[in-house]
Amino acid sequence: MSLGQSLMGIHGLVADISVGDHVTQQVLGQKIDADLLWSTIAAGIITIALGLMVRRRATAGVPGKVQLAWEMVVTSTQNQVETTIGPRGARIVPLAVTLFVFILICNFFTVIGLGATYDVLLPPAADINLPLALALFVILLVHISSIRARGIVGYVKHYVAQPFPIFLFPFNFFINLVEELAKPVTLALRLFGNLLSGGLMLALLAFLVQWKLGVIPVGGVLFIVFDPVWKIFDLAIGVIQAFIFALLTILYFDTAMSNDH
Amino acid sequence: MPIATSNFLVPNFTLVFELIAFLIVLGVIGWTVLPFLNKALTERQDQIRGELEAADKAKADAEDADAERRSELEEARRHAREIVAQANSTADQVASSAQTRAQAEYDRIVQSADVEIAAARQTAVHEVTARVGEVVLAAAERVIGREIQAADHQDLINEAVAAISAEAESGTTADSSGVTR
Repeated sequence: MSLGQSLMGIHGLVADISVGDHVTQQVLGQKIDADLLWSTIAAGIITIALGLMVRRRATAGVPGKVQLAWEMVVTSTQNQVETTIGPRGARIVPLAVTLFVFILICNFFTVIGLGATYDVLLPPAADINLPLALALFVILLVHISSIRARGIVGYVKHYVAQPFPIFLFPFNFFINLVEELAKPVTLALRLFGNLLSGGLMLALLAFLVQWKLGVIPVGGVLFIVFDPVWKIFDLAIGVIQAFIFALLTILYFDTAMSNDH
Repeated sequence: MPIATSNFLVPNFTLVFELIAFLIVLGVIGWTVLPFLNKALTERQDQIRGELEAADKAKADAEDADAERRSELEEARRHAREIVAQANSTADQVASSAQTRAQAEYDRIVQSADVEIAAARQTAVHEVTARVGEVVLAAAERVIGREIQAADHQDLINEAVAAISAEAESGTTADSSGVTR
């Protein structure tokens, strides 16, 4: 029984929640999810627009609300990087800031629509593609930073010389390989799973509208009550997940640039 | 009706385009937005730091001025205490001097008065004794019925006058000593 089928027949209602179905197009001979891509582009445009708005109005005097929000994100990230990695981690700040703001705006799309196929703009992080793309990009940069910090020999030694003595290097390598493979997967699935479940909950709430007792729209009343509550909850989830993604990125860089073996 | 026609856990080529979209966002934010934001933050930090330093300097200046004011106030108080002490000393000296002078003046006046009184008494005694002699002669003439020549009985007269004078002198001396006291 698929996830979609399990959502059918709740109290005799007909659920039409589709997960993983998108408006597709062929680009360069490959199938792409056009609706998700447009959502991602929209999130990118909003992020850039907010950034350019701050750039145009940036002042050393009393900042506006948008500048204040950006400054809060930037200074918090700088403090986190400074505390975790130290001064040499300053180059990571733009990546962490952009990840946080971009994912945050993507996550806010959840509250615009009704969830799943009823969304006006699909939350891009509710699909595996964007979280995985971001996670793979982050992990790639983490390994590059590790090589730059430790050198090739130090980088290789890091994976074969610990946690056990070096003569057990096959075990060491296997354990470290699993750990490194798990990093992008967990990083992506954490974001994706939280956003997907939030969207599914909204979709299920939307289906409550069909539930009537005679002429009494019980489901509609429940929907009106619970939909805003869940969307507020989703807003908080969106902020938390964006923060966790950015924070884990910083921590991965810290591990990669650390000299401790 | 199938709910899902594809496995939602399997990524597709959308991943590449979404990554490209993110890289564009990262480039714009990282190269064009954050430097301006950091510049504004740095300028504000410098501005606040400068204002804090100015405030610290003003505070230090105020503390110095306050210390100087306290010092000057203490100096003025000390000076005032000295002036008051000096004034009290001068007043004591002036009072003592005035008292001494007054006592001396008092003694001089009393002494002068005593002398004048004694002289007046002496004059009065002499006048009285002279007058007494004349009165005695006049009375004697009436008693004996003839003129008595003063030259003839000068010795008697002088003796009587001397006796009266001596009596008067003794009374004068007694009075003078009582006044002086």
